[in-house]
Amino acid sequence: MNTRKLVIRSMRKNIKMYYLYFFAMIFSISLYFIFSTLQNDQTIVQMVKTSTNFSTAFQVAGILLIFITVVFTIYATSIFIRRRSQEIGLYQLIGLSKAWVARVLILEYTILGLGALLIGMLVGALLSRLFLILFMNLIDIEVMVGLTFSSQAVIQTITVFTCLIVVTSLQIIWTVYRSSLLQLFQANNRTDYFVKRPSIVSGILGLAGLSLIGFGYYVSTLIIDNADALMFLMLFVLASTILGTYLVFHTTISWILYIFRKKQNGHLGLYNSLSVAPLMHRMKDHANSLTIITVLSAMTITMISLSYSLYYSTENDVRLAMPFDFAVENMEEEAAIISSRLEEEQIKFNHYELDAIRFDGAWVEQDPSADRRQRTFMLFSAEQMAHAGLDVESPQDGEAIYHNTRAIIEGMEISYPKYVEFPSNDEVNRLTVSNFKLENVMNYRFYGSQLLVSGETFERMRDRIQESEDKEILTFEVFQLLDDEKSETASGIFLTNVDSDLYITDFYTAYQDSLQTNGLLIFIAGLLGFVFILSTGSILYFKQMTEAEQEKTYYLTLRQLGFRVNDIMKGIIRKQLFVYLIPLGIGLIHAAFALNVGSVLIAASMLTPIFISMAVYIVIYLMFTFVTIRYYKSIVTKAL
Amino acid sequence: MENQNTPKTVLIAEGLRKSFGLKGNAQQVLQGIDLRVIEGEFVGIMGPSGSGKTTLLNTLATIDRPTEGQVSIKGNEISKMRDSQLSNIRREHLGFIFQEYNLLDPLTVKENILLPVSLTKISKHQAETEFNAIAEILDIKELANKYPSEISGGQKQRTSAARALIHSPSIVFADEPTGALDSKAAANLLKNLHEINQARQVTIVMVTHDPLASSYCSRVVFLKDGRIFSELYRGEKTRESFFKEILDMQAVLGGGD
Repeated sequence: MNTRKLVIRSMRKNIKMYYLYFFAMIFSISLYFIFSTLQNDQTIVQMVKTSTNFSTAFQVAGILLIFITVVFTIYATSIFIRRRSQEIGLYQLIGLSKAWVARVLILEYTILGLGALLIGMLVGALLSRLFLILFMNLIDIEVMVGLTFSSQAVIQTITVFTCLIVVTSLQIIWTVYRSSLLQLFQANNRTDYFVKRPSIVSGILGLAGLSLIGFGYYVSTLIIDNADALMFLMLFVLASTILGTYLVFHTTISWILYIFRKKQNGHLGLYNSLSVAPLMHRMKDHANSLTIITVLSAMTITMISLSYSLYYSTENDVRLAMPFDFAVENMEEEAAIISSRLEEEQIKFNHYELDAIRFDGAWVEQDPSADRRQRTFMLFSAEQMAHAGLDVESPQDGEAIYHNTRAIIEGMEISYPKYVEFPSNDEVNRLTVSNFKLENVMNYRFYGSQLLVSGETFERMRDRIQESEDKEILTFEVFQLLDDEKSETASGIFLTNVDSDLYITDFYTAYQDSLQTNGLLIFIAGLLGFVFILSTGSILYFKQMTEAEQEKTYYLTLRQLGFRVNDIMKGIIRKQLFVYLIPLGIGLIHAAFALNVGSVLIAASMLTPIFISMAVYIVIYLMFTFVTIRYYKSIVTKAL
Repeated sequence: MENQNTPKTVLIAEGLRKSFGLKGNAQQVLQGIDLRVIEGEFVGIMGPSGSGKTTLLNTLATIDRPTEGQVSIKGNEISKMRDSQLSNIRREHLGFIFQEYNLLDPLTVKENILLPVSLTKISKHQAETEFNAIAEILDIKELANKYPSEISGGQKQRTSAARALIHSPSIVFADEPTGALDSKAAANLLKNLHEINQARQVTIVMVTHDPLASSYCSRVVFLKDGRIFSELYRGEKTRESFFKEILDMQAVLGGGD
């Protein structure tokens, strides 16, 4: 038998074990191929050119994608090589050289890899069109896309693939050359790790893990109020929670299980014997991978939830910042032209005139030691706003409400009432600002912090503020379109009739811009999240598969002792729930705290998109649990 | 058939046949075996390699199904039972001691021993009492909180024996229990088994190829080529003379192993 025949024969024999690995490889290759196809697509290239956001997003995502694919491949390969270590040992035992064994294995994995590459690219080519349509749909662009086969994408994919083969080959060489025969034969049944018992140190470390996480959470709540130390605090929170998570997996959980077990005093029962006991011993070995899985889960959930929230609330957020479809300041002529042009196009609209006072003043805090901050303000009348159709709350007489969609980011959401001091004609030189609202009363880009007062106060203030160069009486002309279908035409009319040097924008244009950015964000986050969850899920699954094989003899013994498959499965399900739900649970809590910080970015409520994202994540994740349990069941059933 | 004075029968096997492999190329390992074990007996099964000892034990112990013939344990006809019913029989009526101990490595000695009572109605208190009694006899009480990897082969096998006895089974099946032990540990275990057999009237069926081991039995069944070749009863003989008798029989059988 020559080498080639042997390779083919051994591959055929290993097909059952391989197909998962093969599938995982096909999957990551096709996803990468889709990604690079999109990256090189003409429509997207055009978009990327216009915005640096887009190109950085694509680059970062590309790097992350390669990174996760490589890490995943290393992980999967190491698991599968270990499972074949007896075979590797056997070849050496019958006198074949290490070089020969390494060569054969590399040949096998390369053949497998080439197959995966071919299928992966084929699948990718078929699916990339679907993904492009999905993407165009997300960002609301109607372009009929004839996706051409991108040779650039092929080259990129082959490059990444070559890296993977090199990494795998190095791993194989490492395993073959570094391990002794004895290690190879015993790789699958190590039992020596059962001996250690937790000491008082474990207890202390265990508590330290929990405290680190708790402390990280606590500090994370401080980030919003201390935006100047943002970078430092964020790194601190990350370090604290990740270290805490590691300790929890390394020590805390096995320590808790140990305490529980000690209380049982030997009466552990079948179900705990199959879950608590092996978990307690294996937790330490799994600490690294479980930490990675937890952190990746938290990252994925945060990333998806945030980008989905952004996308989900795009219209809402833009509307909060731009309450009127169009607005111009002191531009009567232009407003008249716009009106007549809109009428020509038979676009129905409402048109209002709003008075405002712009003046220079200063924020004064209740705390006299706090800094006074000089600002330019715009004062609006609540009655007029209500008349123009805005749903605003009228402040009490003599008081104002501060309107700003960015108040939280700017750190202006605390310690009300504040005061606005202004140069006055009489002794009253302060306006009490009783509260703030996370919405604008006038489209942004008009200069000045927006204050809303009652009609009467507005009239009084008009006289009270000292006349100077800094005091301006303004007239805003605002338009509300009544016909959504013609927004695009109307937007064109508006933009051609205002001086582009003024950087005035309208609701529709701002909305489209936001939608494109957020659409790209959710698309990339979704793609990455998908890869992340599939790799973390697969790693857990592969690990559990190996564990199931190692524990086969236990199931045989238990069945000989007269336990039914169903009894044993109950214990195994309990164990799987632990293995899968602990990282998921901790990951979800991590994500919740991260999102709490991230919620500053979005004015609208994020609860709905967060719940949807988390639910989707949990469902996909639990599918892996289900598949694992099924695998265990087949092992237990066949054990006897 | 039985009257009140004869001891109760625990296990009956009739016309047991077992063949492995495909039809046409099948290999008959058991070629018609009849066996009756009564309560309190300590039966040894001996025979050369390939005589079908372990196959017979597995078939009697409901782990394997016979191709032909019937086995009944405590009046339960098991040949036609479903797998889940067989599981119940094993859990309630049978105990097992294996050559390789088959302890669960993640569990301590005590947890291993108490495993068989875990899904039964036996109370914690009762189980604890039973554990103490058996661990006392087998001298493993001190080891209760040790893991299998921390104790010697002999201690492991005594743990395995304790696990086989904890739920007071009708029969204990032992498959080469001394096979992996040194002579001292083996003698120790056999003495323990003998004591337990005498004191608690536990029925034991043991497969072994070691004449010394079977000299502790009350009866030894010799197999050859899948059939019962002969039987020896110890009766009132000393262990030493019974041992000699077994050796002689082995010589007749041919092949020490």
